[in-house]
Amino acid sequence: MSDSPDHSHSGPGHHHHHGHDHDHDHDHDHGPSTPPKGPPAAPPPPPSASGDDAGSQALAEALGSSFVIVRLLMIGLVALFFFKCFFILGPQEKAVVLRFGKPIGVGNAALLTAGWHFALPFPIDEVKRIPFQEIQKVTSTTGWFFVPKEMEDAGNDPQVGPNMNLAADGYVITGDTNIVHSRAFLSYRIEDPIRFAFDYVNATNAIQSVLDNALIYVAAHSQVDRIIRDDVAGFQDRVQARVNQLVRTYNLGIAVEQCRVESRAPLYLKKSFEEVNNALSTRDKMRNDAKSYENGTLSRAEAEAAGRRSRAQAESVQLVSQVRADAQQFLDILPLYQSNPDLYHHLLLAEKIGQVLTNVQDKWYLPQRTDGKTREVRLQLSREPLKPATSLNGNQ
Amino acid sequence: MKRNLLTIITGGVLLLIFFLILFTFQVRQAEVAVVTLFGKPTHTEDKPGLKFRFPWPIHAVHKFDQRIQNFEDKLDESQTADSFTLVTSVYVGWRISDAQEFLPRFAEGSIPEAERVLEGLIRSAKAAVIGKHQLADFVSTDERQLKFAQIETNILQLVQEQVKAKHYGLELEYLGFKKLEFPPGISQEVFKRMQSERAILISKIQSEGASQATNIITTADNKSAEMLFQADADATRIRALGIKESADSFKVFQQNPELAKFLANLKALELSLGERSTLIFDQYNEPFTLFQNYTTNAAPRK
Repeated sequence: MSDSPDHSHSGPGHHHHHGHDHDHDHDHDHGPSTPPKGPPAAPPPPPSASGDDAGSQALAEALGSSFVIVRLLMIGLVALFFFKCFFILGPQEKAVVLRFGKPIGVGNAALLTAGWHFALPFPIDEVKRIPFQEIQKVTSTTGWFFVPKEMEDAGNDPQVGPNMNLAADGYVITGDTNIVHSRAFLSYRIEDPIRFAFDYVNATNAIQSVLDNALIYVAAHSQVDRIIRDDVAGFQDRVQARVNQLVRTYNLGIAVEQCRVESRAPLYLKKSFEEVNNALSTRDKMRNDAKSYENGTLSRAEAEAAGRRSRAQAESVQLVSQVRADAQQFLDILPLYQSNPDLYHHLLLAEKIGQVLTNVQDKWYLPQRTDGKTREVRLQLSREPLKPATSLNGNQ
Repeated sequence: MKRNLLTIITGGVLLLIFFLILFTFQVRQAEVAVVTLFGKPTHTEDKPGLKFRFPWPIHAVHKFDQRIQNFEDKLDESQTADSFTLVTSVYVGWRISDAQEFLPRFAEGSIPEAERVLEGLIRSAKAAVIGKHQLADFVSTDERQLKFAQIETNILQLVQEQVKAKHYGLELEYLGFKKLEFPPGISQEVFKRMQSERAILISKIQSEGASQATNIITTADNKSAEMLFQADADATRIRALGIKESADSFKVFQQNPELAKFLANLKALELSLGERSTLIFDQYNEPFTLFQNYTTNAAPRK
């Protein structure tokens, strides 16, 4: 830069013609790249002044290029600023934008769903994200015993000591003042995310407490055997009903999807409970055997009764037919018989005796004695050989 | 000129930010703020939004979470009216209802400090309420006898009254049992009782099984006998009907009873003399009258 405030000429393209008068001092800067073509009319400027000019110019150039960088940087920052104002919500979350702390929109209208959204930078706007999985889960283990995970995965029970470890092993008291282990698994959906996020510091803890309470409450009026064996589904339903009731009372903003309850006899009494189960199995077997006998006996009796009726029916029919046949035979014979009764009597008798004697095994002819005395005949009635004694009465 | 305008705008924006920082504060949704003037609470801001304040040290702002806090007390023992010891723990939902009262009661409005005080109140209330109830009010197979929910409500009311009377600036939304157990010694006694109950149950089940089986078998036998008896009665009736039906045919025989009897005898003779029968006859029986003129063994033995 020139020191002269009057005028200065700079730039390599500025040339002076020195053949005219000047009413002012010359202090020309011809630039290092444009040396004068002719002999200099004036002495060359001092070397120091020439160096300042060059430095200033270099500085100006550097500043110029710096300004470009700064400008680009500024544009970049502004772009980044606007870019940062956008945020993405995933499918499993919702959000509410608070402007100066107040939600934009009222009720569910304030709730942003999955996608791109815009919010001014903090502290003007604040994005409050709400985890909103489709189904969330809570487990109550307040009434369950301690079991290392690897042991549980392997399906093994922990070792039982002489005393119950109250600090580690939980249980619930039943209505008949017994002790039983019980745990519950609750699946739920968030129905009112605003209430869930803005009314509770930790709504999940509140739900956990509700589940613990439901388990204790329902067990407190249920019998131990109904919880463990006889009414497992009923117990589970009652726990879920109690959870629903408390969720409505506390207005937790959730909807219960499913509540699964698992109950076990105390580990300490595992053997005793197994013996009861065995006794129940034996009882059931005895009952089933008796039922089976009942079915068999009744089936046989039914068949026998049907058979007796059927035989009677057949005999009845047979009797009627037989009598009819006899009557018919009688009617057929009667005219012939009446014509000569003795002859027909003799003929019919002889024919029948002939038939009968064919079948008779032994035929004894014992004519009367000529002296008129009685003949004594001795018959051995059991003439068949004795069978080997197979029965205890042995009356053969 | 353009450069000046930019400078003015930048300056203005910076001034605005500076003003906002100094003279305003935000109350977020679910928050409540207590504004103090030289340390003395003046008013409460509980609606969300941007609020005015004078810069510190004139105004100071204390913010609190107004949402429901879930607190669980530690397990402790209480005695019932019938001298049973119960180990209980409850959960409580509480919130700051009056931040202006809450702030001075607990060091800088400390939540843990408030919960520590609350735990003491709960312990006293639990002991007082549980002491008025029998064990059967807690556990009973008769749901109508159970006063579980009523006991929870009584404890809640008692703590609520205490909190209100002492102006803690907080209120309880709900309270419920989280654990209900017997002390370790009693648990062992319960186990022993359960064990003996199991033994009784086993013997009951066994005798029940034998009795049920006998009952089923006896009933089946009786039913079977009854069915056969009924069948026999039916058979007799059926046969009687057959006889009745054949009665018309019997009338035919009256035309010549002598022939009828003779035919009946012939039939009986045929039926009675089967294969394994012995017939002894002499020369006077038809048709053996033919033998009358033969002497064979008619002569007596010498």
